[in-house]
Amino acid sequence: MEILECFIAAAGRAGARVVRCLDRTALVDYIVRHADGPILLPPFASSRRLLLAESLRECGCEVLTEHFRAGAAQASAGVTGANFALADTGTVVLDSTDEALRLASTLPNRHFVILDPRKILADGLAAVGPLRVLHRRQSPDFIAFITGPSRTADIERVLTIGVHGPAELHILLLEGISDDPLES
Amino acid sequence: MSRQRSRDYRARIDAALNATRQQDALHRFGDAYLEARQLALADLDFEALRESIAELKDEVGRHRQQYIEQFMELAQKAGAHVVRAADASAANDYIVQLARRRGAKLAVKSKSMASEEVGLNQALRAAGVEALETDLGEWIVQLAGQRPSHMVMPAIHMFRDEVAALFGQVTGQAEPADIEHLVAVARQQLRDKFLQADMGISGANLAVAETGALALVTNEGNARLVATLPPVHVVLVGIDKLVPTLEDAMRVLQLLPRSATAQALTSYVSWIRGPVPQEGEAKELHIVLLDNGRSALAESPDCKDALRCLRCGACANVCPVYQTIGGHVFGHTYVGAIGVVLTAFLEGLEPAAELVKACIGCRACAAICPAKIDLEEIILQLRRRIGDQEGLGLGKSLVFRRVLRNRRLFHALLRSAAHLQKPITDGRGSIRHLPLHFSSLTEWRTLPAVAEKPLRDLMPDVEDQVREPRLRVALFAGCATDFVHPRIGLSLVTILNRCNIAVTMPQGQSCCGIPALYSGDRQTAIELARQNVRELLADNPDAVITTCPTCTAALRQHFVELLQDDADYAESARRLAALTYDAAVFTAEQLPDLPEANSRGTVTYHDSCHLKRGCGVWQEPRQLLVKAGWELQEMDRADRCCGFGGSYSFASHPEISREITKDKVNSILRSGADVVAVDCTGCLIMLRGALEKRGLTQRVAHTLELISEALDDAGEDT
Repeated sequence: MEILECFIAAAGRAGARVVRCLDRTALVDYIVRHADGPILLPPFASSRRLLLAESLRECGCEVLTEHFRAGAAQASAGVTGANFALADTGTVVLDSTDEALRLASTLPNRHFVILDPRKILADGLAAVGPLRVLHRRQSPDFIAFITGPSRTADIERVLTIGVHGPAELHILLLEGISDDPLES
Repeated sequence: MSRQRSRDYRARIDAALNATRQQDALHRFGDAYLEARQLALADLDFEALRESIAELKDEVGRHRQQYIEQFMELAQKAGAHVVRAADASAANDYIVQLARRRGAKLAVKSKSMASEEVGLNQALRAAGVEALETDLGEWIVQLAGQRPSHMVMPAIHMFRDEVAALFGQVTGQAEPADIEHLVAVARQQLRDKFLQADMGISGANLAVAETGALALVTNEGNARLVATLPPVHVVLVGIDKLVPTLEDAMRVLQLLPRSATAQALTSYVSWIRGPVPQEGEAKELHIVLLDNGRSALAESPDCKDALRCLRCGACANVCPVYQTIGGHVFGHTYVGAIGVVLTAFLEGLEPAAELVKACIGCRACAAICPAKIDLEEIILQLRRRIGDQEGLGLGKSLVFRRVLRNRRLFHALLRSAAHLQKPITDGRGSIRHLPLHFSSLTEWRTLPAVAEKPLRDLMPDVEDQVREPRLRVALFAGCATDFVHPRIGLSLVTILNRCNIAVTMPQGQSCCGIPALYSGDRQTAIELARQNVRELLADNPDAVITTCPTCTAALRQHFVELLQDDADYAESARRLAALTYDAAVFTAEQLPDLPEANSRGTVTYHDSCHLKRGCGVWQEPRQLLVKAGWELQEMDRADRCCGFGGSYSFASHPEISREITKDKVNSILRSGADVVAVDCTGCLIMLRGALEKRGLTQRVAHTLELISEALDDAGEDT
């Protein structure tokens, strides 16, 4: 699992928190403990498989599944999956063509990303294959490489986390949910 | 016109030199950047990668029509409106008309240097549309009514207290000068604007011909909001951002963030292909492919490499001139070395005319550029063009054409200087003060006096101790060794004789011509090249040795290039180039091991710009010094320019040189070494002069002098 260790180290360097979840319950529990307010939950394959909306609501979370533009101001977190990831830079790659996915990953202060570690590729060059397939499969499309939280050093070069995007990026590793880089 | 322009430029330099807080910030940034970048590149083959980027960018430059058409077709197929804009006003017209058609009142922008280049914000304002910058640095600069002073960090010249004051005007209350708080203010103030805006405007870092996708490389996350929230997204992108394939795009992504901010990858890379769906009305994506001088640049044989630029800003980060006067003076829309070139092609020769002279020629930019652009060489070409257009100025033109081209006259003048200077020298071979208006030249450094006897007169007296030499070499002394520091030449003779090598100095040699070439007088440089090629090869030497790296570069590169179309001289110039060696490299190869000796003391080595980055030599002189018994104590940034730059420090920009030299002297002092070794007569003049004037006792010597002394001592011991 050298590639996994490499991903965890690189994502950590970029300021992401990487959490290895033993099972579905541990993953839901982590989100519940860290969300700290209403959650934007767009539709994606892993969420449906994990029955995420139901589980989070059972734990008392407020979960929004539509009208994100209006809801974003109140939301404290967004949850998405990842199509795949890049080990060398600690990047998660998310096909965010669906606007709901884009809003959930850009507007709230926290972003939880669910990733099956089997989907970690070596680097950007290894990503070219699945990127091409994604481009061919749908048109138009919007694919996001996300590496750590939003950041700036524009004032006196002092690194400051969380400008216009999420200040926290939590990558939740859970094996067995998907090995398909074409879905998130 | 040009005289007024020069006066304005001088005034801006003076103002920048007084902005010491900015200088401190840029210096700290430059140092931190180099360290972080090195870490970020640790696992990559930088040279191989930048070579591949140069290749792919050149391919696009050559076949740009084909890639533009391919990109347009695929982007249109994905649903984008794509237009080509030949110049700034075409780009502005399209975007302004689009804004009118949409009834737009507010446009949110993410950082786009192309939009700065065309003056898009002003065009929109004139049409009643507010263009609001959302990148933190750009917003700060916009609030201050300024322009970016760096391509990646637009507000690098400003400080937290200034930002707090600007933000206070927006919020209507006093804002504490706390950076985290100020960033939060920006998030809060701009969030609603993203949601209300009628248009989003961005640039793009890549346009992928293979897919018709754009890639936006950002850290703050504002570009994602600009692309997502408003119903219309306009992308203004230069045709130079095209890459053929996704693989090519990934190669650029490997070096762009590492070179720009020393990050392995920025927080976000967004690949946008066509107008993606949104809640409510259908999204529109408009792509404006901007030429505005880029095709002309692609067609310029001397300058076309500049079109490879990734806009990472690395050339500014490492530039000693940028660190001294900042991007508002050393730049126009684009800053630093690449800014000089882009200004000339994208905004015109007039705004570039002063900038081309501000480059000190240290090649730090060329060494760090991730697209392998030889920026120094391109700036020289531009200097020549502007020299052709505006003339060199009467004084320079007289010196170069009448004096430098006539060796006897030039050398006679130098000889008479040795007599004329007598009343002002201090007996140690230095001029500490100069009278009248020359006095500013010796305010902060002494100047070396012209030697009583030049090397060319001393050489015949040197007893040739080699009876049956293994090799016969010709010494190309260069003006400084010949007329100012003949000891360096004598040292070389001592060393090489010890290696059983005979040294002669062909008397017909003259100036290498670089001062003329760098000032834009190519014709004088060509005549000097011919003369030197002829004289140096006359006796068919086994090698030609130089003691000045600028001369080395002249003999090895410039002569070949200058004479390539000269049927009589092209072949000889190539032969001379192949025979030419820098003295340190040649000596390191030839000198046998020396007997173990006591430590001679501590030495710190200053890399001359033209030796390290021009000739790729930095290890050999250090090895020689250690071999001769010196203990090496490295200074920080040993390869940062000393501020000499030839006529830069005497005539064109002594005030900038002074600051750069001050940095170098401080590095020398921090090293704690007793002696500073250099391999360039220019560095020797500069550093000796600066240390002497400050009353410092550290000795500055040419490596050859130190080696020759060690040999003399070893000879006495045995």
